[in-house]
Amino acid sequence: MRILLVDDEQELASALAERLNMRGIDADWVTTVDEALRKVTATSYDLAVLDMRMPMTSGLELKALLQAQDPRLKFIFVTGYGSEKDFEAVSCQAGEACYLVKPVDITLLIERMHDLLDSPGGEP
Amino acid sequence: MSSRPDLIGEAGLQFFGRMSASISHELKNVLAIIKENSGLLDDYLNLTARGMPLDPERFQAVTRRIDTQTQRANTIIKTMNQFAHTVDSFCKPVDLNQVLDLLVALHNRLATMQQVTLEVQPAREPVQITTSPFVLLSALGQGVSFALPAVPRGAAMALATVSTNTGGEIIFSGLNEPGALSMDGFPGDQGDALLAALRAELKIDAATGRMTFVLPRK
Repeated sequence: MRILLVDDEQELASALAERLNMRGIDADWVTTVDEALRKVTATSYDLAVLDMRMPMTSGLELKALLQAQDPRLKFIFVTGYGSEKDFEAVSCQAGEACYLVKPVDITLLIERMHDLLDSPGGEP
Repeated sequence: MSSRPDLIGEAGLQFFGRMSASISHELKNVLAIIKENSGLLDDYLNLTARGMPLDPERFQAVTRRIDTQTQRANTIIKTMNQFAHTVDSFCKPVDLNQVLDLLVALHNRLATMQQVTLEVQPAREPVQITTSPFVLLSALGQGVSFALPAVPRGAAMALATVSTNTGGEIIFSGLNEPGALSMDGFPGDQGDALLAALRAELKIDAATGRMTFVLPRK
């Protein structure tokens, strides 16, 4: 499994990537939209984990940009807000199981990754 | 609701909610970083228990991250506490330099999300006026929300305090995004009510990219 973590909090993205790598998941991390686009153009990922709130963009906007580069890519969203607005925005576009609230439990995150990648349409 | 009987209360509550949401989001991020990095320390120890040598430098780098984030959380909570106490008194002497520091601390994250840096340019001496700290912050907060989209992406917005014969001024500058500094809908009914309560005047100069809050001494 090859995944890309996108979060503007570098110390979160780097630590989570290292922990996922220790668990046999090939994880890269970036902190900006531009870096994410470059990575997805250069590398074939199975899944991207996106922060819902990034500078100048939302996770859903970033999803659209990344999907334009790689239509096969699947997504999990994480947010610090846990607001109804975020939940509704994501759940109607990506399915409830693709939305996690920070701080994220790594075991739950890995379960969600498997749920997404093992389901035929990619959606839970 | 069909009527808006208390524009100042409405504006104040909205401002309080907006700031609380921003602060809680930032705290969630800090907690997430601490959780992930403490988890990483656990992972290192589990590997050590299985015979992998512990790398002290990597271990210390992670503990330093946790320490940095603990300090960050402490700063956020101090700001939150200062903000909460602005409603303690609705008329008191305040130093505009301190008000500006709090305003910037509250809005740094929102500015970062719009790729704008906030630069504080305080007057050399305290700028004392007597006012409602919370109503003043609410009005200035509306000013920040209005001004941020008028700052070119990647640039800085300067916030300065100036002492005047009649009180003080808070000046926002760097609002140079062409066409963005339109007063359509700003300050609006709420903003007008806040300015009236403060007996303040708002000046916007699109040509120089400046917005000035003119505040009376009392």
